[in-house]
Amino acid sequence: MVDFIQTTIDGLSIGSAYSLIALGFTLVFGVMRRINLSYGPSIMLGAFAGTWIFVTLDAQPWLVAAVTVAGTVAVGVYVERVCFWAIRRDAAIASMVSSFVIWMQLEEVATILLPGRTYPFPELFRTGGVEIGPYFFRMEYVTTLTVAILVLVMLRLLLFKTRFGLALRAVSENPAAAAYMGIRPGRVIFRAFVLASLIGGIAGYLLLAADQQVTPYFGLWATFKGLIAMMLGGMGSIPGAVVGGLILGVIESQTQWYLGNAYKDLSSYLVLFMVLVLRPGGLLGQGIAEREAQAFRRI
Amino acid sequence: MLEVRDLVTAYGTIEALKGVTLSAKQGEITCILGPNGAGKTTLMYSIACILKPVSGSVKVNDTEITGTSAPHALRCGIALVPENRLVFHSMSVEENLMAGAYTRLSSDRAGVQADIDNAYARFPSLKDRRAQIAGTLSGGEQQMLAVARAMMSRPKILMMDEPSLGLAPLIVAEIFSIIRQLNDEGVSIVLVEQNAHKALQIANRFYLLDQGRVTFSGTPGEIGEDDFIQRAYLGSKVA
Repeated sequence: MVDFIQTTIDGLSIGSAYSLIALGFTLVFGVMRRINLSYGPSIMLGAFAGTWIFVTLDAQPWLVAAVTVAGTVAVGVYVERVCFWAIRRDAAIASMVSSFVIWMQLEEVATILLPGRTYPFPELFRTGGVEIGPYFFRMEYVTTLTVAILVLVMLRLLLFKTRFGLALRAVSENPAAAAYMGIRPGRVIFRAFVLASLIGGIAGYLLLAADQQVTPYFGLWATFKGLIAMMLGGMGSIPGAVVGGLILGVIESQTQWYLGNAYKDLSSYLVLFMVLVLRPGGLLGQGIAEREAQAFRRI
Repeated sequence: MLEVRDLVTAYGTIEALKGVTLSAKQGEITCILGPNGAGKTTLMYSIACILKPVSGSVKVNDTEITGTSAPHALRCGIALVPENRLVFHSMSVEENLMAGAYTRLSSDRAGVQADIDNAYARFPSLKDRRAQIAGTLSGGEQQMLAVARAMMSRPKILMMDEPSLGLAPLIVAEIFSIIRQLNDEGVSIVLVEQNAHKALQIANRFYLLDQGRVTFSGTPGEIGEDDFIQRAYLGSKVA
C-alpha cells in the first residue's frame, strides 16, 4: 500500500507537467481547431537554448529557466507565423503537415546548436527531498507540482476574469460571432500561441530539470505525452487536459513500478485506446465532441 | 445616417452584391426583403466591415467606413445581430453581454456595468438567468440575448439578420415589439426578414433585393400597389 501511494504521488507530480503540455495543445486546438505538431519540438529548442547558455556560459539555473521559457515562446511565435497565420483558416490539414515539417527543421537547428546527443540540464534546487512519514517527496517533484498548480490557478484567472480570457473563449467557441463583437480572431490566436508556448516552456523546464539532461528527442517525447494526455481528457477541454495529464502520469509510474519500464508506454497507449473506444470525445470532452457531431449532422 | 453606394462584394469571382445603393435614415426602421441568395446577409456583413467589398462605399453620418475593420464599424455605431443568433453557448448570459461590450471593456468598466443593468431591466428573463450557460436558454431567450449583446456596444444603427427565424409566433411578436421599442428610443434599425408581412408592419422604408441588386424601394404603403412585388416576394394572394 505504501508503495502504491508513493508511486501515485510520483505519478501525480510528473503528470502535472504532462497536464501543462496538454494545456498548451488544448489551448491552440480550442482556439483554432488545429493541432500544432511542432509544439513539443519548440519546447525542445527552447530547452536547447537554455542548456546552451548553461554549457557555454555556465549560467545560473534561474537564467537557464528564463532562457528556456523565452526560447520556447520565440519558437512558438515562429511556428504560428509560418504554419498557422500564413495558412488559410479552412486548411487545417495544410497547417498540420507544415507543423510536422517545421518539427524536422527545429530538430536540425537543435543539432546544429549542440551537435552531441545528450546535454546536462541544471536542476533548480540541489536539496534531495522531504520525508513525511513513510513517504518521500523528491524536491524537483514538489517544485513541479507547486508550479503546475500555480500556472493552473493563473490560467483560470486569465481565462475567466480578464478581457483576453473572454476573447479567447469567444474565439474558441465561434470565431465568426467573436468577430461581430469586434474581437480580432487573428490577434487572439497569436496570443493563445504565446500563452501556450509560455506554459510549454515552463513544463519543459520542470521535466528536464527533474531528468537533469536533454536530448533532441525531447520534442517527440513532449508531443507524444501532450497529445495523449489531451486526447485522454478530451480535445479542447481545459479540465480535460489537466485530468488527462494526471492520469497519464499515474498510469506510467504504476506500470513502471509493478510491471517494469518496458510496459510504461504500452500501458498508456492501451488506456488511451480504451478511452477513445468507450468515450470518443475523451473523458471530459464529450460536450465538445457532441457539439461537433451535431454540427456535422447539420451539414 | 447610413449611406450605401454602389456596393459590390464578391466571394472569389462570384459577385454576391452587384452594386447596391440604399440609405437608412436616422430613427427609422429600414427593412431589406428578398428571396434566399439575394445577398441580404452579404450586404449586412459588408456594412459591418466583416466582409471587404470590392468597390462602392459605406458611410455612417458622412464618415467613410468601407474597408475598415469590424471593431471600427462597431465604434462608429454599427452593431449586428447575426442570423441564427450565434450566442456563445458555453458562456454565461452575463459573459455574453460582456463580450458584446468587448471594444470598450477595458476603457469603460462602469459604463459596461450600467449597460448590463439596463439590459436586465429590458429583458427581465435574462436577469433571472444571468449566471446560466447561454446554450441552455430557449430559442426565444437566445434571440433576446443576441439583441441585448448587440446593444452592449451602444449602437446608433442595429442591424438584425432574420431575428424571427425558427421562433414560435408568440416569441416573434415579442421580438418585433422589442424592435419597435428600441426604435422608439432612437436606435435606427436595419432589418433583414423573410417574414415580410410582419416586417412591413413596422418598417418605415423597405428595399427589395434580388440577385445582388436593389429591384425596388419604397414605403410600405406603396407595396400593395405593385402587384408584381406582391406576387414575387409576399406570396400570391390566390393559392
